[in-house]
Amino acid sequence: MTAAPARPIPRKVAWRVFWRSLFLQAGFSPEAMQTLGLLYALAPALKHLYPDEAAQQEATRRHLTPFNTHPYAAAAIVGGIIFHEAKVARGEEPPEAVTRFKATLMGPLAALGDGFFWLSLRPAVGVLSCALVPVVGVFAPVIFLVLYNAVHLSARAWLFKEALGYGEAVVVRLQTAKVPMWSNRLRLVSATLAGALGAWLALRFGALAGGALSVGVALASLGIGVATVLAVSRRWSPYWLLYGLAGAAVAGGAFL
Amino acid sequence: MRAVHWWPTLWTGVWGGLMALERRAFLQAMVSRPLVAATVTGLINDDLRAGLYVGLVFELLHLGGASLGGAQADHETLPAVTGAALAAEMGETFGSDSTPAMWALAILLTAPTGWLGRLLEKRLDERARRYYGRALSEAQEGQLARASRENLRAMWPQFVFYGLLCAAAAAAGPLLARVEHELPLPVLRGLGWAYPAMAAVAAATAVHGSHAKGRYAMAAASATAVAGVAFAAWYGGHPP
Repeated sequence: MTAAPARPIPRKVAWRVFWRSLFLQAGFSPEAMQTLGLLYALAPALKHLYPDEAAQQEATRRHLTPFNTHPYAAAAIVGGIIFHEAKVARGEEPPEAVTRFKATLMGPLAALGDGFFWLSLRPAVGVLSCALVPVVGVFAPVIFLVLYNAVHLSARAWLFKEALGYGEAVVVRLQTAKVPMWSNRLRLVSATLAGALGAWLALRFGALAGGALSVGVALASLGIGVATVLAVSRRWSPYWLLYGLAGAAVAGGAFL
Repeated sequence: MRAVHWWPTLWTGVWGGLMALERRAFLQAMVSRPLVAATVTGLINDDLRAGLYVGLVFELLHLGGASLGGAQADHETLPAVTGAALAAEMGETFGSDSTPAMWALAILLTAPTGWLGRLLEKRLDERARRYYGRALSEAQEGQLARASRENLRAMWPQFVFYGLLCAAAAAAGPLLARVEHELPLPVLRGLGWAYPAMAAVAAATAVHGSHAKGRYAMAAASATAVAGVAFAAWYGGHPP
């Protein structure tokens, strides 16, 4: 078992930094991207690590260069920056170690975060919650929040804590989580549930709205779903499909 | 029949502004996703079902959307909140719950706000450059605490602009309800048919947006299974 590392900053300061890191994208702009958010998150730690004002200013200037990564994965970078800044403050490392750490990790962590959170977990939990609407009704959004944030908040807290204690060793620990494998599985869950939900929505609301023509409307809605999958796979705009097919449905309802 | 319902309109504005912040500026715990944000909007406007079913369509429609690198995705929160507010207020105007025809009308009218929201976000990002410039000069002057707080100042315009758009949608509900009330019955029936059609379009978009390898085969298999069970039950006298 690895021994617990010496904490670079007191627990109270670490909590403040973590809380402030939740505002990472508040001041997002095309050039600076998340720089303002990073500076805001790091401020309490830099103040603690560099009691001398000149040294504090110099450390702050190190973090005024453009910064951008996935907002959740940024927790690892924020924690790692403090790990390295503490070493710089103790004279164990040159200041370049901090900028090198930041520049090396922000790209790969952005790709990992985008692939897992934005393109896998969020769609999977979203479509699962939508599929639960017929069963649990208005509790489906609650299930969405609980499931998603169980992963999201624990990942953010874990990444911050690990990087604060071990610096770039967090990457090795992250590899054991097999994130790409989980991403692929979650994407398949999304596709399967979306197909099932599409069929249910088309049949349920088609049957409700159709009156004497309920079977016909339900089947037509199902057919629309199939046609849309084909059209979207050929890069047709979902908006045009939404308006076109809704227009056809209105016309059908009005004239049949 | 009543005019604008001021308190729900005001709260819809506050909620919409907060959701615009939650979507990107703070936390990103997905409270601002369409399914959640629209359901709460429905609750604020006294029609949970409207919020839930409008939110469901927008959730599926925007399921695969994500801002990656320099590419910005359409704003999914703005259409969800404005659509749910519009649908719920349409029903409330005549003292009843909203109908699928109202949901369909609200979705059709507010879907383009996803694009509008993206444009607005781009504009506000451009505006945020000034906060960065200010932070740089404050850091040069040694005002480090002030420089770091510039980050929070950029949130105000987002809250105000998105909040106003959401409140406007809630305020427009009664007006649109009167228009809908005047529509001929066949058109209303057609709008009722449009909801399942739009839900099917949204679910199909979600299949594509899942980004999975073999997604079409998996979706086809699950859709066939659900349709088979539903038709078997229907044949036995239990419509879906």
